[in-house]
Amino acid sequence: MPLSSPVTPPREREATLYKPLAGAGWRAGANPTEIKDHNQARALAERMRKEALAAYERLELPVWRRSNFWTTSFERLAIEELAPRHHDPNQLETRELVEKGLAQLPDRERSGRIVQLDGSIVAVELSAEARQAGVTLCSLTEAIDSHPQIVGAHLARRLLIDRHKLEAANAAFWTGGIFLHLPAGAELEAPFELVQLLSGEGVAQHSRVLVVADRASDFRLHEYGLALSAGGGQALHTEAFELYLHDGARCRLAHLEDWGGPEVFNSTVRFVGVGRDAFCHWLPSQLGGKLMHEHLELSVCEPGGGMEFRGLFFTEQDELLDTFAVDLHQVGPSTGDCHFRGAATGRSRASMEGLIKINPGAQKSHTYLQIHTMMLSREAQIDAIPSVLVSADDVSASHGGTVGELDEAAIFYMQSRGLDRAAAVRVIVEGFFEPVITELKDKPLEELIRSKIAAKLARAKEEIEAYAQSR
Amino acid sequence: MADLEIRNLHVRTEEREILRGVNLAISKGEIHALMGPNGSGKSTLANTLLGHPAYEVTEGQILFKGQDITEAEPHERAKLGLFLAFQYPVAIPGVSVANFLRMAINTRREQPIGLKEFRELLKEAVDLLEVDPAFTSRGLNDGFSGGEKKRAEILQMAMLKPEVAILDETDSGLDIDALKTVAHGVVRLHEQYGLGALVITHYQRILHHIKPQFVHVMLEGRIVLEGGPELVERLEREGYDQIRKEHGALV
Repeated sequence: MPLSSPVTPPREREATLYKPLAGAGWRAGANPTEIKDHNQARALAERMRKEALAAYERLELPVWRRSNFWTTSFERLAIEELAPRHHDPNQLETRELVEKGLAQLPDRERSGRIVQLDGSIVAVELSAEARQAGVTLCSLTEAIDSHPQIVGAHLARRLLIDRHKLEAANAAFWTGGIFLHLPAGAELEAPFELVQLLSGEGVAQHSRVLVVADRASDFRLHEYGLALSAGGGQALHTEAFELYLHDGARCRLAHLEDWGGPEVFNSTVRFVGVGRDAFCHWLPSQLGGKLMHEHLELSVCEPGGGMEFRGLFFTEQDELLDTFAVDLHQVGPSTGDCHFRGAATGRSRASMEGLIKINPGAQKSHTYLQIHTMMLSREAQIDAIPSVLVSADDVSASHGGTVGELDEAAIFYMQSRGLDRAAAVRVIVEGFFEPVITELKDKPLEELIRSKIAAKLARAKEEIEAYAQSR
Repeated sequence: MADLEIRNLHVRTEEREILRGVNLAISKGEIHALMGPNGSGKSTLANTLLGHPAYEVTEGQILFKGQDITEAEPHERAKLGLFLAFQYPVAIPGVSVANFLRMAINTRREQPIGLKEFRELLKEAVDLLEVDPAFTSRGLNDGFSGGEKKRAEILQMAMLKPEVAILDETDSGLDIDALKTVAHGVVRLHEQYGLGALVITHYQRILHHIKPQFVHVMLEGRIVLEGGPELVERLEREGYDQIRKEHGALV
């Protein structure tokens, strides 16, 4: 990993709203071996909190505007009224909440699972196989003491802490946190599950996730973000997620977020760094939340790295989703392939800004970005914005996309085979997402995502039909 | 009474009357050919029979097994036993041929079909149509060649076993080998369980492989001439112009 890579200043871009991290990080360039023991690691964490707190107090709630046609504003968030809520894992109420959350997940074989409920880590399990392979899965707070050098070498190395108030809030106020470390050569077929549960209104959950995969490890990682209550006032989830894949490591990474229900605001930044000859297949799926702002950055950091960046989103009612996904090639040769699919019903709005960025000198980088979207109601809005910034001359990079609606010819075709109209619509929309779902190569997770999509379609059945009839 | 009866059917689309009084009766076990030049209304009839919402029936009736289906939803007609093999089958990305067929079969059953029974049925159909079994795991019509699309239509027909099928220019875009395979599939289904079919075409070549008992010629939205297989030979010899001259007054 280029832990000492120079920071490339983000370049101003006119057409799009966001800037890639592009190598920036709170500790980019720091000596990766400077932290030697838990006292130093604690001091580092404290320093991060302190600097972030200063930024938090200085900054206003963020508002992002793309001229005339897009605004993502957290101004309505009553952040001072929200607070972390802590839970005792031994309390009956905690256990019931955890059970309620886990009941939504597939009952399947796992290599490990860790659950953060609001502000507390309340359950950790590790399979015998994972334990034997030397895997560590614990709270980030614990890891600062138990694995200070690994935490010290990676924490916030490629994430910033002060671009906006919510990012600063996360770095200043995070509690619990998740740490997963795979030692060199660890190979585990069953997934690790990282579960973030938000119990309901009034809660601010500030979560940090640090995953470090050493040389030639190979694993699956599924992160879930779920709201437990079906109504109520505001709640907040912020997350800073870092995954570092060292030389030859391979990961199939997926996120499923469904913050639908209460008025959940979500501000998340995720970074995946791919080292020499390492590989990541990444599918973030965003399936609900009142206001979601996500910055997802997958960076090929060393020669020979490869990635498949996938994305899936489906907004409904009056949700707003704003995603900025970056396919960053810091060096070459490298390969990338980005494919995002999204749909919107109700009065929801989704912005999907995808950027390919190839740094100077990242020769022999080859990548492609495609964004496909489907409008399912008259008042829904999707902005699909693919873009490419290339600073090397021996590369291939291109992008494309489609914005579509339900195809009446396809509906009639399926009706002529016996499916009623509602079933035909469901099949078309589910089929629209299938190219990215089936690539998960994980049946239980695939089925869970399909069931979430089917539930959204069922909820929006009448408005979808009304829209189709009106055209 | 025939299984499918079309009585004085008038159909309009986009403010234009296309069918102007079509009468036709087809029963299970019978093979009919409907011939006519481009634009005569053949595909309009096919789509109307399955209830395409773009086609408005302004007069007349469609009866299937004694039931008036003129206003029925497309899926209701399909479940009663009508089938349309499309001239231009639509791609349904992300839905495999096999999964789609299972869904379609299950619309006709109270209990979902078991995997083993489905696989057996699928294998029979795949063998009949001489397609690679891997074909059924591909997205339906997605990236299919013209020939593959037409085979997929007949494969679906073989699985769904309709009582009366309308084959809308199934021969168009097929090379001779594919044409033979598709035609062979139709004939086998006719022989095996008495499929009734309305084969719509404006060429004669598919009718060399699927021998119709009844031939109807459509001009400008009406059936102007009816007869037996000899009518195919006559059309081959004389073309539509002669028919138009003879029956122009009618239309």
